[in-house]
Amino acid sequence: MVIASNGSIAPSGLLVVVSQGQSRSPEKRSLEDAIATIAASLPNTKSLIVPHLYDLASDSQSVKKMREWTGPIVILSWLFDRAGFWVLDRHEIRGQHGEVLLLNLDLVSDDEDEEEDKEDEKAADRVTNIAVRPSRKIYSIDMRSGGSGEVFAAEFRRILSVEQLDLPQKDLLSLARFLNPTNSTALSIDGSGRLDGNANGDAIAPVSHESPLGIVPLRMDEHPQRRWYPVIDYSRCTNCMECIDFCLFGVYGVDRGETILVEQPDNCRKGCPACSRVCPENAIMFPQHKTPAIAGAPVDAGGFKIDLSKLFGAPERDEDPAEAAARERNEQLILAGRAAVDFNSSSTESAANGSATATIEARVPKQERKPDELDSLLDQLDALNL
Amino acid sequence: MSESLKFMMGDFAAEFPTDRLFAKNHMWAMPQGNAIVRFGFSAYAVRLLQDIYFLEFGIEEQSELKNRQEFGNIESKKAESGLYAPMAGIVVRINERLLKDPSGINVDKYGDGWLMEMQGDSSELLSPAQYLEHLAKAWDVAQRTIKGQANTIDSNEE
Repeated sequence: MVIASNGSIAPSGLLVVVSQGQSRSPEKRSLEDAIATIAASLPNTKSLIVPHLYDLASDSQSVKKMREWTGPIVILSWLFDRAGFWVLDRHEIRGQHGEVLLLNLDLVSDDEDEEEDKEDEKAADRVTNIAVRPSRKIYSIDMRSGGSGEVFAAEFRRILSVEQLDLPQKDLLSLARFLNPTNSTALSIDGSGRLDGNANGDAIAPVSHESPLGIVPLRMDEHPQRRWYPVIDYSRCTNCMECIDFCLFGVYGVDRGETILVEQPDNCRKGCPACSRVCPENAIMFPQHKTPAIAGAPVDAGGFKIDLSKLFGAPERDEDPAEAAARERNEQLILAGRAAVDFNSSSTESAANGSATATIEARVPKQERKPDELDSLLDQLDALNL
Repeated sequence: MSESLKFMMGDFAAEFPTDRLFAKNHMWAMPQGNAIVRFGFSAYAVRLLQDIYFLEFGIEEQSELKNRQEFGNIESKKAESGLYAPMAGIVVRINERLLKDPSGINVDKYGDGWLMEMQGDSSELLSPAQYLEHLAKAWDVAQRTIKGQANTIDSNEE
């Protein structure tokens, strides 16, 4: 571990970031704490707890903290792993996909390999092939993947081994030096480590320890407002500009290299996922959308809970994705006090974007659930005494 | 809220106060005057949801909604759902406190746990007796919808 003279951290270890959910579920909160605590106890590992990743502003302390880290990162969130990865990318916390073995089993389908092959064939025209990301790895884990802290601990140890950071005794010495610095330059990290006057004293370091065990995670004390905006998967995006043409709220823009970007995320209309439906490459995610395919699920899969929408008044609809996108956009235009666009939404006209239609139908396959999930659903129903 | 009607959801008795109206999508509706109606979840909805963990409004105050237009979503221990307008009109007030702590719905569903207020045409709302008829008629469908999600591959349930 080296501590740079400006007080930032030049890491030689692994940073584990736990992104807290918005939900008040006590099970989720306790799993978050358990994971962060476990991570803090591992060798060469620093543990950071941040508010819900998706809500963070680019200039927030949490994002700044993560940006300082140039080594490998494990990001755990209540988002699909792909969404977690690309939200970080958006904040210029970039790297290569680190392989995660801890997968959300409800979402793994048999034809996943097939899909990957297809993507490889078309690899040449993706944005990430032009704007290559740094070589360090970012391991994004969906916290819905594992039930207990132990499962996550095993995955962290595996990643440490892959990164060759699981060295025992030898490295502990330098870590100990990091934890108990003896020079004033090193001490300055304490100032940057304690952010927003963390009342709990959950400082990053140094804390006096006999061993690295027992280090507490650093908890970022921020309370961002809820946000809603699209997240682009640049390993899929081909810079085709369908989204910038479709969105009438000025969310999209291009950078100096003429690459599409989400320029004005807060112009986005809350709840509206319409642009993701017109993207021919399924590259646009709304990580908070209730439809897994739109939220970044690797394959379409059912939610984890019973969907009561039809009982609570969801209209019956039989529309294709292009029609849905046009309707959603019009609803937002009207909500914003603007005139609806006369986008002929008969199926022939909307097939002007035929490729999008086909793609989206393809990404909403018939739902197949694994028997064990079915069992648990039935158990939940039994508990309802219906 | 002195008097109420009961509907048996299996062994569970859901109670519905008779001092207000109801919407078919399982919200109660309390007229506030000036064509404004306050809405919240009925005991039927809360029983299906159980502990509520997360609530999101996809709109802001002064938004105009069509009947059944989606305006947010909700997640609970047992379920998740979109939220749909119980009538057409303008949303004049949102209960912001629920964003921080949606369990307010579980604590006081017919009082402080109200969702929002709308101004508009409330002529299609149901009396408590009519709502109970609706529940009785819809109960089989409701059970099938819930269990159907667990049992069928195709999710096109009624």
